[in-house]
Amino acid sequence: MAGFLYMPNTVHPLSYCILVRCAPSQQSQALSALHFTQALLAQGHKVLRVFFYQQAVLTGSSLRVMPQDESNLTSQWQQLAQQHQIELGVCIAAALQTGIVNQQESQRYELPGTSLAEGFELVGLGQLAAASAQCDRLVSFGAGS
Amino acid sequence: MTCLICLSQSPYASQSAKESLDLALVMAAFEQNPGLLFIDEGVLQLLPKAAQPSPHKHIGKVISALEMYDISQLWVEQESLQAFGLVTEQLSQPVKLISRHQIAELWAKYDQHLVF
Repeated sequence: MAGFLYMPNTVHPLSYCILVRCAPSQQSQALSALHFTQALLAQGHKVLRVFFYQQAVLTGSSLRVMPQDESNLTSQWQQLAQQHQIELGVCIAAALQTGIVNQQESQRYELPGTSLAEGFELVGLGQLAAASAQCDRLVSFGAGS
Repeated sequence: MTCLICLSQSPYASQSAKESLDLALVMAAFEQNPGLLFIDEGVLQLLPKAAQPSPHKHIGKVISALEMYDISQLWVEQESLQAFGLVTEQLSQPVKLISRHQIAELWAKYDQHLVF
């Protein structure tokens, strides 16, 4: 339970796997995932992997445009990943069905363009299974029904 | 780490049922031996092949793969099954019945829990 207790002076670093399942439009849940990950890293915990599954794969789209006065979750994740060298994995099966493709997949399926945002990677579900087996804590955000 | 995957979504209302089962299969392929708990509308995922109301893959095909992947810990909440007027003999897989008040006990046996 140590990871869930607030102990400002005695942080025991734990390794986390973050699973995001809600669409970026589900603002409060999607923001919680980002803020939780930011807080973990700020406290010195390790984030083994962030994995976007179900509707959350849209977070990895480079083609979403937000109104100027609204925050852009995609770029916030990108900044966090860059600062802390964490990997942002997007489920490849869900991504392809949602229209999120990188150069390689775009060529494979002869699609007219690419849409995976920089800093995100298309990976298999195996990456989630592997990370969930290694981590001390697996934390899931949003039911992606 | 052992993971209990809780399936509460009806088979075709969304992709969620398929996605949760896919994750179970991948975890099994990584030799993590996940347990599956079917609850609420999730019990409908265990109905044998019927007309397919969706353009996606028949959920029965994914369910029938569970055995091949050695996923044998299949639990069904008794009250959910009763709510749909079903009995275990009507389901496509051999399952273990569990009543609502025993779920906390089952939950405690696993390190991780994913609710779909």
